[in-house]
Amino acid sequence: MYYFDNSATTPIHPRVSELMNDINIRIYGNPSSTYKIGKNARSIMENARIQIAKAISAEPNQILFTSGGTESNNQVLWSMIQQKRKHIVSSTIEHPAITRVLKFLITYGLNHNLADVNEDGIISIDSINKNLNNDTILISLMLANNEIGTIQPLEQVISIAHNQKIMVHTDAVQCLGKIKLNVSKLKVDFLSLSAHKFYGPKGIGVLYARHPEKLYPLILGGGQENNLRAGTENVSLIAGMGLAAEISTELLNEKNTMVEKIEQQFKSGLKTFFPKAQFNGCQSKKLPGIVNVSFPGNKSNILMAKLERVGIAVSNGSACGSGDIKPSPVLSSIGLNKETNLSTLRFSFGIFNTKEQVDFLLSNLKSILVCS
Amino acid sequence: MNRIILGMSGGVDSAVAASELIRQGYEVEAVFMKNWEDDSRFCTSEKDYKDALQVCDTLDIALHSVNFSKEYWERVFKHFLNEYKNGRTPNPDILCNTEIKFKEFLNYAFDLGAKKIATGHYARLRNYNCDFQLLKGLDESKDQSYFLYGLDQKQISNTIFPIGNLLKTDLRKKAKDLGFTNFNKKDSVGICFIGERNIKEFLKQYIPENPGHIITSKGEKIGQHEGLMYYTLGQRKGLGIGGGHSKSNGAWYVIDKDLINNELVVAQGHSNAALYHKFLKASGLHWISGKPPNKEFIMAKIRYRSKDAPCQIKNFDESTISVEFQESCYGIAPGQSIVFYDDEVCLGGAIIESYSN
Repeated sequence: MYYFDNSATTPIHPRVSELMNDINIRIYGNPSSTYKIGKNARSIMENARIQIAKAISAEPNQILFTSGGTESNNQVLWSMIQQKRKHIVSSTIEHPAITRVLKFLITYGLNHNLADVNEDGIISIDSINKNLNNDTILISLMLANNEIGTIQPLEQVISIAHNQKIMVHTDAVQCLGKIKLNVSKLKVDFLSLSAHKFYGPKGIGVLYARHPEKLYPLILGGGQENNLRAGTENVSLIAGMGLAAEISTELLNEKNTMVEKIEQQFKSGLKTFFPKAQFNGCQSKKLPGIVNVSFPGNKSNILMAKLERVGIAVSNGSACGSGDIKPSPVLSSIGLNKETNLSTLRFSFGIFNTKEQVDFLLSNLKSILVCS
Repeated sequence: MNRIILGMSGGVDSAVAASELIRQGYEVEAVFMKNWEDDSRFCTSEKDYKDALQVCDTLDIALHSVNFSKEYWERVFKHFLNEYKNGRTPNPDILCNTEIKFKEFLNYAFDLGAKKIATGHYARLRNYNCDFQLLKGLDESKDQSYFLYGLDQKQISNTIFPIGNLLKTDLRKKAKDLGFTNFNKKDSVGICFIGERNIKEFLKQYIPENPGHIITSKGEKIGQHEGLMYYTLGQRKGLGIGGGHSKSNGAWYVIDKDLINNELVVAQGHSNAALYHKFLKASGLHWISGKPPNKEFIMAKIRYRSKDAPCQIKNFDESTISVEFQESCYGIAPGQSIVFYDDEVCLGGAIIESYSN
């Protein structure tokens, strides 16, 4: 398998899986129990909280464990129905874990507007300003886009928002291990993470809250996570996530250089035999490793099928429930027409990809692509 | 290269078709076609896709998806509505085969590098004297050759029907043995995009109601209809006039639609002579072999699942044909297709325009 879809999910780091196996076997205690095996579980969990906090420069008590990015996003947005002000500003390039929730929350009296992006895929500050009103309580913007990788000017947005006492949430699931995250410097109010995007396990994530008291629980029951997320904690997943966060941030500079090299190899190699390749989104302000390319004259679903035959995994936008490939709304909002949209693939490289693998990818693309 | 691209619907027929192809040594990939945009209450495409995925995962083959709903709307559905507006009873599944499955899908499969395509139709193919012949499915109760009469030599020479010689009961058993979760999924009935819903309710969304009188063949007004397009010749149910008008003669049946006066003409009793006709004329004539048969006495079906009726070709040209039935035929409906057979060989067909005695 030649895996170039690291933005969908990453392979688990061997050290992470080893740690999790060990915990699964040995540490079966409930972290809420007071006896030794419970305390062991608890200290493993709290150690992971420290690791996560360190990875994003937060305090451990600002870290809430959830089931992943989607739940983290949901918890922030749902918490807003308790607020007096009832308006949220988001953007046209958000993940459905934001946009679908916002749509649903209209029935709870929470309204929203979506700010536009320019053709580079960068959020327009103008559009943010225009969409704010006296009732706005929150701005939710992804830190970096999952399809094109563009990094948003969040600092600027936060300073505008805080001047008007508006909170800011960012979906940063694509970012850990790819860019430096420093929440205390950024002063963001809420931030979502998902372990399986940084070589950790699936089914576990983080919600960082600058002021956790602004949050309300989605899941009620026991008093776990300071009453913000009931249910017995999954100790091995949490520990795996902690270690994965530590590894990813420690290796950030070294691995990024490597991933950037691979990305460069891919882009320049591709241009030699397919000069019409069009790289979407701002190429200078984006996450390393995410390359979104349109192949004029080709259909992405045909390309995908042919790449799959030789064991190459890439992505073409998001398939809906019936497998049907719809034009990507993200690519539409940066101005791609339908045909170009449906000729687009996303390659996302990760720390386990090698130069040889990219050579293999290029030679296959060369024989598959229709040049006309 | 030995690659077959199979159209997979999520139903049990195309699922077993995939395993038959694999057993025969082909390299198989499946494509899930979406030809109709969802109407969440009635369309089952998400569930169907998940069923298809389960089958492909079980067989360890790739499942691709493609959306032809725009082509379907333009080339099948618009025609379907027009036919209804003109008081006829179209058969969109026939057009779907010639325009979508054996044209768009075929081309798509070639783009994917297929040698041939396959579908889960109950029909068989035979190479006979340099001709490709379309044969009825071995399971006569499931035979779908009626829907395939519009195919030409090029289309069928690029096609495999892997389940044409299976019986449905055996096929379901195979599906169960193979571990397909759809092994007992209900057979789809009726027009694919209408599904289980009432056709009248469906049509009302697209064609406004146009009420008028229901009259007898003698011109006597006996009730109200909601619009001529909601009725088919030979139809009994849903007339809303009951059998009571003159009880002894039984239920009422549609025998004609007077489009000019917007009147629905009915007659009483299933054996009423007005429901039976000896002659018909049809257009859009197509012969699968590319040439007319060398006999004039053949068999014909005037709608899906009607019994083969012996008939004689009176005369024909490039596109039209006149037929005389040995015995008068019940419920001939313009817009439906007449499909010709020589025993088990499907010869071709045409779209019914008119009938007479």
